[in-house]
Amino acid sequence: MLLIWTSILFPIVAAFAVAIGPTKSAKWTAFAGTLVSLGALTLFAWNFPAWHNAEHFPNTTGPSWIPHAGITFSVGFDTVSLLLALLSAFLMPLCIVGSFSAITERTKEYYGWFLVLGSSIILAFAARDAILFYIGYEFTLVPMTLIIAIYGGTERRVAAIKMFLYTFLGSMFMLATLLYIGWEHRLAVGAWDFDIDTLTKTATRLPSSTQYWVFAAFMVGFAVKVPLFPLHTWLPLAHDQAPTAGSVILASAMLKLGTYGNYRFALPMAPAGGADLMSFVAVLAIIAIIYASLICWVQTDAKKLIAYSSVAHLGLCMLGLFALNPVGAEGAVFYMVNHGLSTGALFLCIGMFYERYHTKDTDVVGGLAKRMPVWASFMVLFTLASIGLPGLNGFIGEFLCLGGTFISEHDGQTGYPGVLGPWYAVVAGLGLIFAAMYLLILLGKLVWGPLREPHDDAAHTTSAIRLPQDLCFREIAILTPLAVACIWLGVQPKPMLDAIAPCAERMLANYPKEVERYMSQSAGTPLASINGKTNESRGE
Amino acid sequence: MVGSWRIMTQLTSIPQAIIAPELSWVGLALLLPLLAAVACALCCALRVKGKAAAIITILALAASFGIIVKAYFAYTGPVQVPIFQWLSFQWGTGQFQSFTANCGMYIDTLTLYWMLFVTGLGTLISIYASEYMEGDCGAGYSRFFFGICIFLFSMSALVLGDNLIMLYLGWEGVGLASYLLIGYDYARPAAVAAGKKAFIMNRIGDLGLALGIFMLWANYGTLQYSELFAAMNKGGQTSVDWELSVIPFLLMLGAFGKSAQIPLFTWLPDAMEGPTPVSALIHAATMVTAGVYLIARMYPFFELHPEALATVAWIGGLTALLAATIGMAQYDIKRVFAYSTISQLGYMFLGLGVGTTFGACYHTLTHAFFKALLFLTAGAIMHGFAGQLDLRRLSGLRHLPGWRIVSWTMLVGCLWLSAFPYTAAFFSKDAILLKALTSVRADFRFLGWLGLFTAALTAYYTFRVWFRVCAGPLHFEPGAEGHHEPHDTHDKHDTHGKPAPALAAKSTHAFHPHAPRWAINGVLLILALGALVVGIPGYNETFAHKDNWAQQMIAGSSAMEGAGLAEDHGAEVSEAHPTVLGMDAHTGLTVVGCTASIGGILVAWYFHLRSRKSADQLRAALLRRWWIRWVPICMENKWYVDEIYHACFRLPMWLGAQILSFGDRHFLDGVMVDGLAKLPVAVGKIFKPLYGGALQGYAATMAGGIALVVAWLSWVWLRGFN
Amino acid sequence: MNQELSSGFTIAANAPIAVALAISALLFVIGLVGFLCRRNMIIMFLCTELMFQGAALAMIAFARLRMDVSGQVFVIFILTVAAAEAALALALVVLLYRKRETLSAEAWSDLGES
Repeated sequence: MLLIWTSILFPIVAAFAVAIGPTKSAKWTAFAGTLVSLGALTLFAWNFPAWHNAEHFPNTTGPSWIPHAGITFSVGFDTVSLLLALLSAFLMPLCIVGSFSAITERTKEYYGWFLVLGSSIILAFAARDAILFYIGYEFTLVPMTLIIAIYGGTERRVAAIKMFLYTFLGSMFMLATLLYIGWEHRLAVGAWDFDIDTLTKTATRLPSSTQYWVFAAFMVGFAVKVPLFPLHTWLPLAHDQAPTAGSVILASAMLKLGTYGNYRFALPMAPAGGADLMSFVAVLAIIAIIYASLICWVQTDAKKLIAYSSVAHLGLCMLGLFALNPVGAEGAVFYMVNHGLSTGALFLCIGMFYERYHTKDTDVVGGLAKRMPVWASFMVLFTLASIGLPGLNGFIGEFLCLGGTFISEHDGQTGYPGVLGPWYAVVAGLGLIFAAMYLLILLGKLVWGPLREPHDDAAHTTSAIRLPQDLCFREIAILTPLAVACIWLGVQPKPMLDAIAPCAERMLANYPKEVERYMSQSAGTPLASINGKTNESRGE
Repeated sequence: MVGSWRIMTQLTSIPQAIIAPELSWVGLALLLPLLAAVACALCCALRVKGKAAAIITILALAASFGIIVKAYFAYTGPVQVPIFQWLSFQWGTGQFQSFTANCGMYIDTLTLYWMLFVTGLGTLISIYASEYMEGDCGAGYSRFFFGICIFLFSMSALVLGDNLIMLYLGWEGVGLASYLLIGYDYARPAAVAAGKKAFIMNRIGDLGLALGIFMLWANYGTLQYSELFAAMNKGGQTSVDWELSVIPFLLMLGAFGKSAQIPLFTWLPDAMEGPTPVSALIHAATMVTAGVYLIARMYPFFELHPEALATVAWIGGLTALLAATIGMAQYDIKRVFAYSTISQLGYMFLGLGVGTTFGACYHTLTHAFFKALLFLTAGAIMHGFAGQLDLRRLSGLRHLPGWRIVSWTMLVGCLWLSAFPYTAAFFSKDAILLKALTSVRADFRFLGWLGLFTAALTAYYTFRVWFRVCAGPLHFEPGAEGHHEPHDTHDKHDTHGKPAPALAAKSTHAFHPHAPRWAINGVLLILALGALVVGIPGYNETFAHKDNWAQQMIAGSSAMEGAGLAEDHGAEVSEAHPTVLGMDAHTGLTVVGCTASIGGILVAWYFHLRSRKSADQLRAALLRRWWIRWVPICMENKWYVDEIYHACFRLPMWLGAQILSFGDRHFLDGVMVDGLAKLPVAVGKIFKPLYGGALQGYAATMAGGIALVVAWLSWVWLRGFN
Repeated sequence: MNQELSSGFTIAANAPIAVALAISALLFVIGLVGFLCRRNMIIMFLCTELMFQGAALAMIAFARLRMDVSGQVFVIFILTVAAAEAALALALVVLLYRKRETLSAEAWSDLGES
């Protein structure tokens, strides 16, 4: 408990230190703050007793905060949230170090807000009280908006406001649903309580028609964050405009809040709704894969390309989650972590060459293997991880997500029936081909080919810090841990898979029954309406 | 030692593998290339100037080969060797409630057969490359050997793996190695594009393979070979369930991608942009045979649908013919050999399809040697003549001192490729054609005749190269130095023998081709010898009537069902004895095979050595007649397959992507999202006059608002009283 | 309503609450009208003070009526706040005057978009 609060609060303490302290030492204070946070969390994970069961640890409620509303400061982890929190805490110091040369003005504010961002993300993952989760979830928006709006590109204001309003609007649905379930709990028991486990128990007892709407409202909230197909348009803009470290945290940690929300709230709380809307969400996810992949293909802006690829990748992750069987769920959770590593690393790589050339346009810059061989090696490695090459981390999640979708059939013998089946996997599998296409095209332009550099060197002189041609030691030190993690998880996924398995099973506990129910009434109206909707979406 | 083979002529089921952790030392064959890859990467990072990377690679691969040889002699039966747990978890105790794909090895005779030539040729070609690539010392030398090591590791994982996910790992890994090595010379856009194309086309096949793997899991609940084969042995495979019968088709899509068959063959000729040792090792001898390995390994599953093997046969037969026709009209030596590779792979698939895994695998073995040999000779020529590979600009090299070994080993390769009587390839090709021609199915017999016709074409285009390049009067022009080969610079309507003016202008006097030294020559000689040696099983069978080593290797594995032992050995007693042209099948095939091969060579001799002008005249005559003109044009332009793919798939998709990209920014974001955001703004505009800026205005609005609220409240309250 | 009032009235019979309420309403309305009609910022500020006092008077009246001190507590609180506010507001007015050289509130309509 103490360690968790250390990892959540220490960055905030450090943020105050940054605000009070001198400008020169701001970056090092920030680095130390995130490092302590990571250290505390690692220490916690090292002694984590619940790696092999679905327990929360510590399994106690925290101090009360607003007693008559039943809101408490209770934090704790199960393996999934611990892994995601570790991922965020791991990326934080790397991002801080990655910003040393990129951020040269208003550094104190930048590092201060960054620390607050890190702290609120960990809070969201650690929270075991729904309102506490909501606070962490929502508060990430404030520092992120400021980071984009102050340190971003030319359209930074629009991007920041759009991101804030869009995701905020989505979260309102989520908050309303949480309050509704809390109210239902009060009706049943007589007192407010926002403990997530209690809410889950309450929500699963609701009639299935109510669960349908509960699920739909959760989905609206989390789908914006993931982002799922028609609700994704804030993401490319935000990524495009955000400073490098902002993009990394946005892609690696903040988007994971969306998928984590599905894992923690939408799916276990409203299993009946999940079963009803399973194919609808899956179709949206598949559209996201194909649609975003095709858009990636014609992007010339390297960062936008990676941003759209995030939409496609998280589409696959959602598909795995909504296969509603352990294979898909394992794959999806694994994919959350892996996408954080490989896409975060890609954003860092692109940021590094952006700092040197001040353009992300692949038509202008290219063939950098000759100029920056070390950078090129890292870039190739992370691209391959993102493509899903076996032996690297991306493959495990991707393969399991697709496999889970494939075997999510009504007559499957896995004990977990589903309604997706092979055809969904075939269409989603096209994403594998497209991923190879657009990422290799990116590599072909950026890394390989004859050297192309922008002619005007004026951009270079404006940079306050003169960077060497190839990566400097600091940058290598940022990318190396990520590369090691990518390879290690690709070669040794077993411990992590074993750790996820019980949590995945707990999440799916109610699903076999509910999916059976859904299929037995498949001639009823919900299916017909869903099919109608999917046809419309396809028509777009 | 050989006596310890369990010869299974009476086999009715796939032998059950036993778990043998004590054999984990075979895993060194996987580990050593990987360690060597790490070492090469370090050399690369430390910018080592010398040949350290090559030495490390050669040593590691030779050790790996040694391990496989040791495993071969220690072999007693199929074994499964667990190494470590990789991708596995479970959520129940039932058969379908776990997912297991560990890092482990499945060693049977098919594995060893493949590993022997993969590691053997890998070692030899690295020795060759250590000299061939020395111009890049300090630049890309270590990177090249890094790629080779990654390739050998992946290929070993593909062949040795004990489950389909390991196979998939190797499958994609060799694709990666191929991508990195084709694009080795990354400053040339053509090489980069070729690498990309290879990877993406392979990915299409890989999707088929992945789906096939899922389907296997969905139906059998396991991906371990031993368990799959055990399930197969139990029977029950004659299901009409579409989920089962689609498995072979999905798997064969993967095989077609990797082995460059119709419809996914266009990447292989482009892959010749890579350095020649890569073409020899990856794109001729080993990687492209992975498809053959997959089908041979999973052969029992190809009987799940009655037409699955027929599809393989048809695709193979047609690919062989199509590639041969294209190969006839190419001027670039490496391209000719690339198309011949596709064509020979077509034969292998034909063999698999008509039901002789032995023929297919034996042809794989012989092909690996002679095609590696041919590519390496082409590489030596390219190396010596500054990248010149146009067969119109090289002639009579056998008269040039220092080039005799290259010329004569090339002749060996050409003889083998054209299946000259009683060479190794003659036996292996015969095994395939014999099975096809004696099949009970008419369409297989047709494919057999098609294969024979293709054999004649093969002999023709093979010797077209040799007669032009090595025979005739001495004459040569250097290529564009620095570039590996001037692809696509040929004038399409240029004629044989007449050099293009641009290149003719280049002085030939100052150029001295540097002859290959010991490493290249030595490897060429060893390979020529190897090509001879791999014929021994064929000689043994044909002349000594002894057991055929290759056949036993195949028959002892999961490919046994198609090994065709009974038919080929004790066929004399059968009353419905198959015949070819009214003769005994063996004799008849020998006669027609010899005719096709020698006929093709004679035609090549006439057109390309005796009177080279007549080839041009023939071509001109064909082009003059409108009704036949399309034949040479289409052949020279590769039947426009690339263009058709571009027009049918790439272009519409690209257009669609542009539309989507535009629509995403301007419709979905611009109209839908921003439009929704305008709604509150519009509502706000209605009340705008109330907020003009004057302080009193705000106060009045506020007071009015409060008054309204109070009025409403009191109205509600009073109404409640009534 | 009337009954409730009269019952309270019997407990605290010193002054009729209606009178207190009427005066409070009068004060409030005077303040409001003054605020809306005058342009001088000091006068406007004084009018807000009037409205404050109107509200405070009503609270005292009700506190007296219900014998509950919390109304009086509130009023004392309001008085303190109003005093602090007066200091702040007058300082602000001085500052505003320095900027535009006038006390008219119309000089400060920058908040409006048009």
